[in-house]
Amino acid sequence: MKRIGNRTASDPAAERYRAGVLKYAQMGYWDSGYRPKDTDVLAMFRITPQEGVDANEAAAAVAGESSTATWTVVWTDRLTACDRYRAKAYKVEPVPGAPGQYFAYIAYDLDLFEPGSVANLTASIIGNVFGFKPLKALRLEDMRFPVAYVKTFAGPATGIIVERERLDKFGRPLLGATVKPKLGLSGKNYGRVVYEALQGGLDFTKDDENINSQPFMHWRDRFLNCMEAVNRAQAVSGEVKGHYLNVTAATMEDMYERAAFARDLGSVIVMIDLVIGYTAIQSMARWARKNDMILHLHRAGHGTYTRQKNHGVSFRVIAKWMRLAGVDHLHAGTIVGKLEGDPNTVQGFYNVLREPHNPVDLQRGIFFEQDWAGLGGIMPVASGGIHAGQMHQLLTYLGDDTVLQFGGGTIGHPMGISAGATANRVALEAMVLARNEGRDIWREGPAILSEAARHCTPLRAALDTWGEVTFDYASTDTPDFVPTPTAAA
Amino acid sequence: MRLTQGTFSFLPDLTDAQISSQIEYCLQRGWAVSVEHTEDPHPRNTYWEMYGNPMFDLKDAAGIMREVDECRRTFPNRYIKVNAFDSTRGIESLRLSFIVARPQEEPGFELLREEGPGREVRYSMRSYATRRPEGHRY
Amino acid sequence: MNSVLKHTDAFNLEAAFRDSHVADVLEQLESELVGLAPVKTRIRDICALLLVDTLRKQAGLSTEALSLHMSFTGNPGTGKTTVALRMAEILHRLGYVRKGHMVAVTRDDLVGQYIGHTAPKTREVLKRAMGGVLFIDEAYYLYRPENERDYGQEAIEILLQEMENHRDDLVVILAGYEDRMDRFFRSNPGMSSRIAHHIAFPDYTAAELLAIADLMLDQMQYSLSAEARTALEEYIERRQTMPHFANARSIRNALDRARLRQASRLFNRRDASLARNDLMTIEAADIRASRVFAETPPPGRQGELQP
Ligand SMILES: Nc1ncnc2c1ncn2[C@@H]1O[C@H](COP(=O)(O)OP(=O)(O)OP(=O)(O)O)[C@@H](O)[C@H]1O
Ligand SMILES: [Mg+2]
Repeated sequence: MKRIGNRTASDPAAERYRAGVLKYAQMGYWDSGYRPKDTDVLAMFRITPQEGVDANEAAAAVAGESSTATWTVVWTDRLTACDRYRAKAYKVEPVPGAPGQYFAYIAYDLDLFEPGSVANLTASIIGNVFGFKPLKALRLEDMRFPVAYVKTFAGPATGIIVERERLDKFGRPLLGATVKPKLGLSGKNYGRVVYEALQGGLDFTKDDENINSQPFMHWRDRFLNCMEAVNRAQAVSGEVKGHYLNVTAATMEDMYERAAFARDLGSVIVMIDLVIGYTAIQSMARWARKNDMILHLHRAGHGTYTRQKNHGVSFRVIAKWMRLAGVDHLHAGTIVGKLEGDPNTVQGFYNVLREPHNPVDLQRGIFFEQDWAGLGGIMPVASGGIHAGQMHQLLTYLGDDTVLQFGGGTIGHPMGISAGATANRVALEAMVLARNEGRDIWREGPAILSEAARHCTPLRAALDTWGEVTFDYASTDTPDFVPTPTAAA
Repeated sequence: MRLTQGTFSFLPDLTDAQISSQIEYCLQRGWAVSVEHTEDPHPRNTYWEMYGNPMFDLKDAAGIMREVDECRRTFPNRYIKVNAFDSTRGIESLRLSFIVARPQEEPGFELLREEGPGREVRYSMRSYATRRPEGHRY
Repeated sequence: MNSVLKHTDAFNLEAAFRDSHVADVLEQLESELVGLAPVKTRIRDICALLLVDTLRKQAGLSTEALSLHMSFTGNPGTGKTTVALRMAEILHRLGYVRKGHMVAVTRDDLVGQYIGHTAPKTREVLKRAMGGVLFIDEAYYLYRPENERDYGQEAIEILLQEMENHRDDLVVILAGYEDRMDRFFRSNPGMSSRIAHHIAFPDYTAAELLAIADLMLDQMQYSLSAEARTALEEYIERRQTMPHFANARSIRNALDRARLRQASRLFNRRDASLARNDLMTIEAADIRASRVFAETPPPGRQGELQP
């Protein structure tokens, strides 16, 4: 970036606008002395500047492009309180163990944002800067929202506490399963899977992300059959059961129609995909709150921008946005399953979703303290390649407030779907019981499962089938402040 | 039919020692523990009868086991559960709730369907036991 | 029952003692409580009994369910509450009670105001005490023979039932003045028979009271000048014979007042610089200013003597 224009000693503001093209840092987007206000929105980016680009200048550029700047100075700035509106990069530090990468901290004045709009927030923070030429790569690692801003959002439609009270289920993780195969089942056959899994002992079954209204099963047919199954399962168990009816559709009108139908059939929960967009998600959260429905969000598509460590948006930021947007369930990794997930990083996601307050926790990738100001919690969902034999690990890593989804681990059970569900439920209850009794489930887990299997043949069969299955690959999204990345156990 | 509400309904009925150690777990966390019973186990029956108020500030499970015992003796053929309440900000709700006694016979629930236009069905369910008046159900 | 005894087995009392970690508490008892020799002996006896009982269990020998309900009798300030707290800890370490806390109550905590009020109140207290020690101070107030309708009797009955049937859930310690407790036990033979250990707390001698004062001062990081020490000796002698003497508690109160006077003395010459030692030292004047040194106590005064 070059600088044009002559400097004459005069009013600094006036001088600035004589400059033409200025460095972002000089334009005021870098201010090492700035002390973030309690009311500022804070963001932390991982920046990888192009060769020869100064890190502070790159940080200032990100601050500029995500707030008021354009590539040149404009006189119209002078009609505004632009000093206030300019985002300020206030700290840049090298990423430990990653030469060429820097953590850039940027503060944004609260007035830059429309109250209660994730769309507006994201349009600012990630709207323009990710293709910016002077940077090789850019990743939004974390954000801090001031209480004043958090309070402009209603948050989760239901929240963990109310969800549990509504379902009358306490003291243990909830259990779910995604109906498989994902695609192709007729409505009648699809509902059969739901019935078998729920009456076998699961709390929830789930549509997959891409089950909408296809030739082999139109949405109404799916809803009717699933709700028949749900209600039958409730009658044989005396428990509240649910099936996440996926209402994802082409338009809001369609989604509202489907959601209303789910509600009218007595479903306790509906589901949407992340790909519907932030505005649609917020609309559905509002609808769910108004209609007393739990809102499940499948994070379809997130891997395209969350997985690589040097570019994109960290899932912890998506998790924070979704807590503001107001969903009740969000897939957040399993640690032990088939999908991406370093233990520390995933625990960081869980804490962001569930806790009333997050302290700084660099090991878990949490760079800012965040007070959620009474906003409800999101129930994290663990799904993908998990099975009953890992119950001690799941419970230890993830705690009670989570939905454990055993898709293959239920439907693929050698004795059938219902037996698969029973195996999972027995394994879970036995593990919770043992943990509460003070046993060391991490060490004694397999023994506890074997004991439980003595009165439960389906669990025995599950352990014999999958006991040894693990997915032990190194994670790509690991924290930077742990000397050695923890491998999935 | 076996009612599977509560945290431990898929395990063999808990022994007194097992119940007691779950209660210990709750007391160690400072949760208040209560005993409730019902003859109407419908999952939407949120309010079972309280067998006394939740018990606060207890150090040992024996006191609660005493209540459980008494409740079982008074209502030998009802559903009885133990609840634990956590008053922590942001929770202020139950943390554990498990059945500690159930009637000898559990007749289960009837599923009622009211059919509407467009194949729409309104479901409701009803415990077979609640056909009889209170006090004579199990 | 007793056929399991194997003559060859060795049972190690010393090891059992060590494992229980009860020695720390006994030591604390010894170092923090002056005198009380008979009390300490009884506590050691009880420890020995419980340890031997544990070994007998290991040896498969018959062990009668032990009853450890106690009564602590003695004048005010003789250390009954303090010892009861230690007792709870000791019984916990020896595995006799599960938690080792102490719930201290008086009549008002147990007895209600109207019909049907007492049972739930007493039960509530019992539940809170389970796993530990229930300490009932001035237990004789539970029994009011002059009032036929007194609800105290109901509380006594519930307590008796509990003490008899659930020995492993809690230990009850009744405390109070000796004469009144004696009368209480005579009128409540049921209660008396369920108390296995009657422990009497003697009044402290003057020398013991002085030692208690030293201990208390030490804990508070104060010390007596030589003259102050003499003054305190005199103070104790006088105080012992006066009404409302409360043994160690009177000492604590006297020291608290001496601290007050010391502070005020230092404050009055606040322009002078003070050494660390000045801040710690109680002088004779701080003690001699007490009304105890007045020729005769002021007539008609009730309660503790004020400075
Ligand atoms: N032997 C002792 N050595 C040291 N301090 C003692 C001794 N006995 C009692 N004290 C102290 O004296 C005070 C009164 O003791 P405590 O309350 O145990 O007496 P008590 O017999 O229960 O009196 P009361 O019957 O009036 O309740 C406490 O501060 C205690 O620490
Ligand atoms: Mg006392």
